[in-house]
Amino acid sequence: MTRYILRRLLLMIPVAFLVTIGIFVIIRIAPGDPVLTYAGENPDPVTIAAVRADLGLDRPLPVQYAAWLSRAVQGDLGRSFQTHQRVTEAIIERLPVTFELGVAAILISVTLALLIGTISAIKRNSAVDLVTTSVTLAGVSFPNFYLGLLLILLFAYVVPGHIFPPGGFTPFATDPGDNLRRLVLPAITVATASLAVNLRQVRSSLLDVFGQDYMRTARAKGLHERAVIVRHALKNALIPVVTIIGIQIGAIIEGAIITETIFFIPGIGRLAVQAIPSQDYPVVQGVVLVSALSFMLSTLAVDVLYAFLDPRISFGSAEA
Amino acid sequence: MSEVALPVVVSLQKPGRVSSIRYFLRRNPRMIVGGVLLFILLFMAAFAPFIAPYDPIKVNIADQLQPPSFQHWLGTDDLGRDVFSRVLWGSRVSLSVGVISVSIGFLVGVSIGLLAGYLGGTFDLLAMRVIDALLAFPALVLAIAITASLGPQIQNAMIAIGVVAIPGYARLTRGQVLAVRSSEFIAAARTVGVPPWRIMLRHIFPNIANALVVQATLATAFAILAEAALSFLGLGPQPPYPSWGQDISYSQRYLANMKWWMSAGPGIAIFIAVFTFNFLGDALRDALDPRLRRSG
Repeated sequence: MTRYILRRLLLMIPVAFLVTIGIFVIIRIAPGDPVLTYAGENPDPVTIAAVRADLGLDRPLPVQYAAWLSRAVQGDLGRSFQTHQRVTEAIIERLPVTFELGVAAILISVTLALLIGTISAIKRNSAVDLVTTSVTLAGVSFPNFYLGLLLILLFAYVVPGHIFPPGGFTPFATDPGDNLRRLVLPAITVATASLAVNLRQVRSSLLDVFGQDYMRTARAKGLHERAVIVRHALKNALIPVVTIIGIQIGAIIEGAIITETIFFIPGIGRLAVQAIPSQDYPVVQGVVLVSALSFMLSTLAVDVLYAFLDPRISFGSAEA
Repeated sequence: MSEVALPVVVSLQKPGRVSSIRYFLRRNPRMIVGGVLLFILLFMAAFAPFIAPYDPIKVNIADQLQPPSFQHWLGTDDLGRDVFSRVLWGSRVSLSVGVISVSIGFLVGVSIGLLAGYLGGTFDLLAMRVIDALLAFPALVLAIAITASLGPQIQNAMIAIGVVAIPGYARLTRGQVLAVRSSEFIAAARTVGVPPWRIMLRHIFPNIANALVVQATLATAFAILAEAALSFLGLGPQPPYPSWGQDISYSQRYLANMKWWMSAGPGIAIFIAVFTFNFLGDALRDALDPRLRRSG
């Protein structure tokens, strides 16, 4: 397995290299000149040149890229044009917040998907199943930023008692209770779209498994229906669900960008959204790079887990 | 005289195109529901200038922040603009972004996938590494980065969402081409000297079109949602022009005053549009996938 993981990590290098080029080119083709944002009002040419040199933007693009990449591989993503804070430091400060939101969203999404998906599959074509599949389709189609606003409206202005505050963030170490209360609404917002996808996957995987011979054998042995479902059906049906959850990491990162903006959560998504209007290149580059690398690593983790969970998949064949 | 058994000639009438479509729809009633929803959406977008009761950008302070009524079905915003009219005009933005960006993704992605799958070798290797690099980005993050870089305009949102859609088509097409490439009819076409571009377009493409149609329908749903998200972040069409995402973002400041109708119209509109394409995509997949068709 170690060889497989190493091989996959090595294969990631050229892709990661292309990703860095992509990020650099995308950010630098911007039509505006960030120097003008930082040179103050009515700057003279000497000031503009000085600011340009200070930001390192006076050098040719390939040189800027090489310098950025060589520093990036050492963990230095440059300094924010706006705040002069180190980008790596800014991301590290905010990453745990986004991570906490992502974990909470995955927990909500997976727990509900397993519960409702299993009931829906067992009671296939019943009213419960019909409602579940309809809600699933609705969940995929609902814009998460609108859902976020509706939740804020509901819990801040309609439901009495302010059970869940409509925004802001309190670190877990400062006040665990307040941290969790503030996490509920944003986590539900991020979880909804992925819940719909996970639920659909649990249901269809279970339906596939229900038709297998070993299910008939388990029932013929006289096993209790609950044991048949939990020990035989769910165990096998969960394998493709793992893949789907892995793919959801991307959706979680996407969801975090919008959700952190709505709920004023100081995560990396909000950091990027705040950096975009001021053309703060290093911050946008850093956040996009971290998002892409996290997505790539989570995909790798899922592939490894998938091969580990399903003995029919050998690490050799999975390499293809 | 011995009896001679004459061959019985039964003239089989080939079913016409209309009756084939009717049969197809009868077997797949969900297609009818999806089709009707799509027709309503397209009708609203196409005839928005005639259906909309008010000018969507004309300020009318006297009517500001009116709740839904007979005069203003979905109420008015803080500038007295009719929300229903803005929703109708906004459908033009969302649907055009959906269709154009999906077309960009379709054309580029399918071309890359066809060439990579059919030619193989170095082109396949290089093209797929680039596609892998594009796939390494969470889709919306990439769309935000591209739009932020090109500038907040509707055309740039279309390009960004189109670029994001490319890898999906390329991967799907390549996989389908690899499955079809070794078929006997392709070998036969090659043997009689049919040029490669013709084999790709006339022999392979029609055989993989079903999967691509399904992908295009579902990708349109994603494109509408992505455009709304970009507009919400201020990266889509700029005010005062109506756009669903931007209107929801604008309405946030009135949330505390319980002016819920400002966001309800565009929010529900996004939901219906995305739901329509998702529903249609699912129905198409069920109708066109032979495995699902058999299992009923």
